[in-house]
Amino acid sequence: MATEVIGSTEQYNFEIVKKFSIMAVVWGLIGMSIGVYIASELAWPMLNMDIPYITFSRFRPAHTTSVIFGFGGSALFATSYYIVQRTCQARLFGDGLATFTFWGWQAAIFLADISYMLGYTQSREYAEMEWPIDILIEVVWLSYLAVYVGTIMKRKQPHIYVANWFFLAFILATALLHTFNNLAVPISMFSMKSYSLFAGTQDAMTQWWYGHNAVGFFLTAAFLGMMYYFVPKQAGRPIFSYRLSIIHFWALVFLYMWVGAHHLHWTALPDWTSTLAATFSIMLLLPSWGGMINGILTLSGAWDKLRTDPVMRFLIVALSFYGMATFEGPLMALKDVNALSHYTDWTVGHVHSGALGWVAMITFGSMYHMIPRLWNTKIWSEKLIGTHFWLATIGVLLYITAMWISGITAGLMWRAYDQYGNLQYSFVDSVAAIHPLYVMRAVGGAFFLTGMVLMAINVFMTIRQGDREAARLRATSPTKMTAASA
Amino acid sequence: MGWLNWFMSFEHAKPLALLILFATFVLILIYVFGNKRRGSRLESYKDMPFRDEESDTKEDRIK
Amino acid sequence: MFNFKHEWIETNIGLLLVLTMLAISVGGMVEIAPLFFIKGTIEKVDGVRPYTPLELRGRDIYQREGCYLCHSQMIRPFRDEALRYGHYSLAAESQYDHPFQWGSKRTGPDLARVGKKYSNEWHVEHLVSPRSVVPQSVMPNFPWLLTTPLNISDITERMMALRKVGVPYSLNKQEYDANVKKFGAKTAEMLNIADARKNLIKQAQEENYDGDRSNISEMDALVAYLQVLGTMVDFRKYDDDAFVKYR
Repeated sequence: MATEVIGSTEQYNFEIVKKFSIMAVVWGLIGMSIGVYIASELAWPMLNMDIPYITFSRFRPAHTTSVIFGFGGSALFATSYYIVQRTCQARLFGDGLATFTFWGWQAAIFLADISYMLGYTQSREYAEMEWPIDILIEVVWLSYLAVYVGTIMKRKQPHIYVANWFFLAFILATALLHTFNNLAVPISMFSMKSYSLFAGTQDAMTQWWYGHNAVGFFLTAAFLGMMYYFVPKQAGRPIFSYRLSIIHFWALVFLYMWVGAHHLHWTALPDWTSTLAATFSIMLLLPSWGGMINGILTLSGAWDKLRTDPVMRFLIVALSFYGMATFEGPLMALKDVNALSHYTDWTVGHVHSGALGWVAMITFGSMYHMIPRLWNTKIWSEKLIGTHFWLATIGVLLYITAMWISGITAGLMWRAYDQYGNLQYSFVDSVAAIHPLYVMRAVGGAFFLTGMVLMAINVFMTIRQGDREAARLRATSPTKMTAASA
Repeated sequence: MGWLNWFMSFEHAKPLALLILFATFVLILIYVFGNKRRGSRLESYKDMPFRDEESDTKEDRIK
Repeated sequence: MFNFKHEWIETNIGLLLVLTMLAISVGGMVEIAPLFFIKGTIEKVDGVRPYTPLELRGRDIYQREGCYLCHSQMIRPFRDEALRYGHYSLAAESQYDHPFQWGSKRTGPDLARVGKKYSNEWHVEHLVSPRSVVPQSVMPNFPWLLTTPLNISDITERMMALRKVGVPYSLNKQEYDANVKKFGAKTAEMLNIADARKNLIKQAQEENYDGDRSNISEMDALVAYLQVLGTMVDFRKYDDDAFVKYR
């Protein structure tokens, strides 16, 4: 046993994976708490309390950045560093560089959140960080690429496993998107303020090329990498079809980059661009569902695990939400549907069925699988995983149901006419009509956040248990220890 | 050679691109699923995550 | 070709990187690059001009407070939007917007043509306490705008930076003359970087947006910006379908 512990720390760099895992949980707590708070601000505006720093419009980017890049990003660093080592059977390349990606990334998220609250923003959704933080992110990201490629080059397996293709595509695409979407001229070297290089239509197109592919690569391709490793591992059987994963990969990475302009239907963007984006959005359904089917069918012949294994339940429900969101997406990319859904809460609901249902759930499942292995122990409470699962599921369902109803209600009210052909409702009528749904959304978020708190407790206790076991082991077998490390 | 002009004109870019993309897709499909031997060879790589079993033998980890 | 093996890619990190990079580059190149070259992307239309120094500072504050998260500035070509907001937005109207503020969500109404629809007093009241004028509103209060003096110390740096990215703020006689020809003498005056501070103070004092002549507040700037939104193009001069060919 003792030799096993020492053996694994020598073979793999798990320290870095542990650090990122812990921060994923921390950012999850922070980001989701801010999310519930800003959702409540929309339901009860007095919660803005006339404090600039926590006013909805400054606080909202702190929510998106904390959950997408803090929670999601840290989880991706953790799992990708774990997966690349275990599938290449090589220790992570560049210990120092990897440690730099950790501190650099955490600093970037922290500084970003603080700077939004102080009013520094590029006002580009999901890329609000001002230029000094963008440069930091760029450096961290290139280091990440170096660590990742370096590790793959050290691999003992001849093949590079599918999960790593997805992670590589995610790293490359994010580098590309981040660079071009953040081209800007600072007003001086000593000011945070900058103006973007492009204007109007071209700027809008660049931003939504970024915006949608942040979803496509950061929140999809990378988490598919997670899925391709953890679903087979947890199920104890290989992925359903390796050939399907080849098609899934190439089709997904090629098609995703075309669809951003569906965020700009009916705008001043030329028609040809948004039509092209709509067409590719429909095609994207195929690889998306190919991937979902590949993941879910991995469980074929072992369906009983869904009843007995709460971790498996997280993973499979995540895939189901993925399938649902990637069906809804192409639907909303149709121009006629978009005419109704755009500018409404339907979009917000759609994003959250992806972000909470798919991204967060697959992360929860993967972390529950990975964390006991990192600390070489068992999960502290399996029952608590089950409770977390139900809280999360109820939370997502409440959230997206509220947003569907709210979005469609507002969309229909905006285009309703009275018998004389005048607009039937003023704008504020629609605001008043959806108020109860904003309350329901905040409640859904609170459910989800409660689940996250349970996870934090469970992870904390598991780590403590792992550390205690390790300490006990050291105390009882000192001789073995020195012998092994000599 | 007059038919070559069809490829040169701007308004045919869309059907042309569609044709090329679809042909590529079909070729990939044929490559991946068209040959049984190649298929089983490709499928043999899917066990990769399980070759690394050093500390994963404890089945009771979650249970 | 027929000997192609996917294994080549799976076992060669260089090849995998290059092919993945190719696959992810195509879409963006095909959709974004032409927007800079195809002429019809931005309509030819009279009246659109860069922001005056005061409006520019207002726009900075609009960005800082995150208004774009709940208000779009992009009217779509639908009948209900025409009735509610006015003529659909043109690409030309945001040609000097670095960055664009089209938005993606209407928690509040579109603001692309909010200019001149409400009085200055209404805007000030509404920004300080939205529910005092619209009881069901869920907008936050922004009372600090009225009490914070506007920082104008770096107005020239701001205009210089925008000039670098292509906004025709003038730095010399030649650029000034070009602006006179393009926008008329009165506007060209406002776009002159050397006079920025003077112009800003003058506009704020003449129009007195926040109702307090004693100082220039952030409210002055923001209301100046809101009041110019969508007012630059005179749509009475154009046919109903003058812009359709650009779509």
